[in-house]
Amino acid sequence: MPREQMPEFSSSVKLKYVKLGFQYLVDHFLSLLLIPIMAIIAIELLRMGPEEILNVWKSLHFDLVYLLCSCFFVIFISSVYFISKPRTVYLVDYCCYKPPVSCRVPFATFMEHSRLILNDKPKSVEFQMRILERSGLGEETCLPPAIHYIPPTPTMDEARSEAQMVIFTAMDDLFKKTDLMPKDIDILIVNCSLFSPTPSLSAMVINKYKLRSNIKSFNLSGMGCSAGLISVDLARDLLQVHPNSNAIIVSTEIITPNYYKGNERAMLLPNCLFRMGSAAILMSNHRSDRWRAKYKLSHLVRTHRGADDKSYYCVYEQEDKDGNIGINLSKDLMAIAGPLVLPASEQLLFLLSLIGRKIFNPKWKPYIPDFKLAFEHFCIHAGGRAVIDELQKNLQLSGEHVEASRMTLHRFGNTSSSSLWYELSYIESKGRMRRGDRVWQIAFGSGFKCNSAVWKCNRTIKTPKDGPWSDCIDRYPVFIPEVVKL
Amino acid sequence: MGISRQNRVEVKSMLTAISSKPSRSGQVHTFSALDNAVTPHTVHVIFYYPRSPFKSFDLDSVRIPLSELLSMYPPVIGRVNKTQEGILEVKCNDAGLRVLKAKVSVGIDEWLRSADGHEESDLTAWEDMPEDPSTWSPFRMQINEFEGGGVAIGLSCPHMHADATTLTVLLKSWTEAQRRQCITQPPSFFPMPYNLTDTDAVNSDRDSFSKPIAGPVSTKTATATFRFSGSAFTRCINEHSIHEISPKATPFDVFAALFWTRVALVKDKSDRVCLCVDFRRLLSNPLPYGFFGNALNFSSLEMANVVEVAIGHVARLLNEHVSSLNVEKIRSGLKRARSQEKMYGKDLTIVNMEHMIVEGEPLMYQAVFEEGVKPMHVSYRIGNDGGEGVIMVIPSPEKGFGRTVSVTLPEEEMSKLLSDQEILRLEPEVILKGVK
Repeated sequence: MPREQMPEFSSSVKLKYVKLGFQYLVDHFLSLLLIPIMAIIAIELLRMGPEEILNVWKSLHFDLVYLLCSCFFVIFISSVYFISKPRTVYLVDYCCYKPPVSCRVPFATFMEHSRLILNDKPKSVEFQMRILERSGLGEETCLPPAIHYIPPTPTMDEARSEAQMVIFTAMDDLFKKTDLMPKDIDILIVNCSLFSPTPSLSAMVINKYKLRSNIKSFNLSGMGCSAGLISVDLARDLLQVHPNSNAIIVSTEIITPNYYKGNERAMLLPNCLFRMGSAAILMSNHRSDRWRAKYKLSHLVRTHRGADDKSYYCVYEQEDKDGNIGINLSKDLMAIAGPLVLPASEQLLFLLSLIGRKIFNPKWKPYIPDFKLAFEHFCIHAGGRAVIDELQKNLQLSGEHVEASRMTLHRFGNTSSSSLWYELSYIESKGRMRRGDRVWQIAFGSGFKCNSAVWKCNRTIKTPKDGPWSDCIDRYPVFIPEVVKL
Repeated sequence: MGISRQNRVEVKSMLTAISSKPSRSGQVHTFSALDNAVTPHTVHVIFYYPRSPFKSFDLDSVRIPLSELLSMYPPVIGRVNKTQEGILEVKCNDAGLRVLKAKVSVGIDEWLRSADGHEESDLTAWEDMPEDPSTWSPFRMQINEFEGGGVAIGLSCPHMHADATTLTVLLKSWTEAQRRQCITQPPSFFPMPYNLTDTDAVNSDRDSFSKPIAGPVSTKTATATFRFSGSAFTRCINEHSIHEISPKATPFDVFAALFWTRVALVKDKSDRVCLCVDFRRLLSNPLPYGFFGNALNFSSLEMANVVEVAIGHVARLLNEHVSSLNVEKIRSGLKRARSQEKMYGKDLTIVNMEHMIVEGEPLMYQAVFEEGVKPMHVSYRIGNDGGEGVIMVIPSPEKGFGRTVSVTLPEEEMSKLLSDQEILRLEPEVILKGVK
């Protein structure tokens, strides 16, 4: 038996080396090409000696016009290049909101409130308990004050008060951290999916901080959990158009008005998973920020597959016939997110496999690119335990890659669009973020959208002393059991 | 009564206050024999403040210290559970403390002047443990806001869980946490010393835990509170020449003797009383003030023809009885307690709270949220008492010999007591007696 395994092993080892060699070749193609050429020229020059070089120079018959034209040409080309180059967009810094301890929701309290409010619908209570047991949430997630009442009091006033609490605290922290004056903000984008009062949340921010009257403000609502990256995309586009500007993005989800008080099962699900949280992000295109900015935005891809029915079910939460909840992630997902962000070698392989499938045999398995080569860190939206599990399986990621997502889900719950920032903060708090590291943030939005952002770390980040993880990072990572006994 | 009593206290909302840190999983708090003995009763403490430290309870700075304090008291935020063998225990699962918010339609001074015992009971939650206590919060806090400022914070729990001292220390610790000070009486959950616990500690056939003792109290009771100053004490001593008979008589002895004799006058039989004394500091290895649970000794006292006896003799009897309490007597008191149905009120019960005076200062009046705003009054009430009456001698806000005596009696007896000349001669300030 071992002898048969040996050849298999050695052939797989050989394949691995072949693949490695191939990757190295393609990734470093340009340098592999240029270095020999430059070496040859250098050798030639050395061989020729200084007098011969002077002769060659004189024979080129330079005159003034020719010289000037060449200079102009060079200057012209470089100007065109610099003007058309997209402005680098920096993420200067960001702050995540940490709720006060009095908003904590232990499992026992959640279930007790559920029993007291739904006392004539034991099946719904059972349903909530099963969800909570398997959710991957911990005992320290927080709900807004209005939800601690029996029965909850989701009034407009309470919702506004929650919005003020989460948004203003995060923004105050951000101003302190970045020494930013409110009057210097040029662009303001607030995204909150389910709460959209009049005047809007962005107007509320402008009023509180007395921002400039010519500020460009936007309020995005109804765009789900991936709205955070949509806001980043919008900020990037605006920063291309406006030179020397900065943009503040506030990503949040206001829980108060959406706490479902009925007993329709599918609608009770968000109660179990959504929790309070927000993040405030400062982005800019000032050249002076390139020293202090934490990250540079490399890529941002937005995909909206609402038109395609199959994609509608791409990320879909459904209950099977046994009543077990599962997220259905189809393999087509890879086709959406993958190609642009990969290194050249992976792109080539992906392209070949695509061509092969289209021309030769559609039954070929689609090539799953090795994303671990492209990125050092992953931030997968902590939408639920099932989402993270599926994505980890499909992208073939290790436990450490998805640790940030799982631990954010455990400590803060599903904070919707701001969860990506809590995850990023986790990685920084663990001291893992080095200069040059690339981070892939993936956000899903209810089966229609998948948005990806790739950031490149601009400077090695010291473990922050404040921030949402500062008092508990030493306890993490924790082991999260499959089912918590309630 | 001509005036129809309109409910002046309106409960507006109910929420659950949580601890700041998750407790160790699987923690369980068991009940002692004494805890089981006082089961039928509930205990209530009400702190009256002239100025409310709360603005909006939700986002207030008082919420976070409360959460931090609750982390130190896992049994307060746990839930009662019945084990396989039918024994009750508290599962420390962090479910939380129920907090009710209420509004009172009058000002605090008007309230103290005109409210009676029944109305005062609206200021705290009075509930017996239901059949299924898994979603029932045993400890309840009610925050009552008066017109024009002023607040009454009521804390209640089944007597099985804790006694009045525990509740007082709990609230005092909250104020200390609020003022960012060291907690002077941190909670202690160590079980009672071995020499005090019975071998068969838990009575498992006490299945009447869920309902109050059958047979409702046939007469309606009334409560009144008499506040005596230090000079009243001196007057009493002089008028009755107490120090000649009992030179070591303490304020408790004097006022308890006074009320025993006067209540005996309005009743027909009162030769026997039940004396309730806290024994935390009476043990050779004293229990800390933060001891969580019940540490009360109930013992019987008799004096023939107490109506005609001079107060001095009664005071001496009380004094000797209290000072002779030792471990043996406490132990036999515990044994006897198991066989009784109700501890308070079966006979006229006198409650001694002298232990609450620590270094001359009364503990409950040190529960200060804001500097300079002391409680103006603290009330203690016992629920489901036996009906014969309860007399509580409580320290006064000022240091010294003054005492506040809270009396609960059947209605007719109370109305007679309120016009008793011996008592009125000492010029007490009578509050919370209602308006006729």
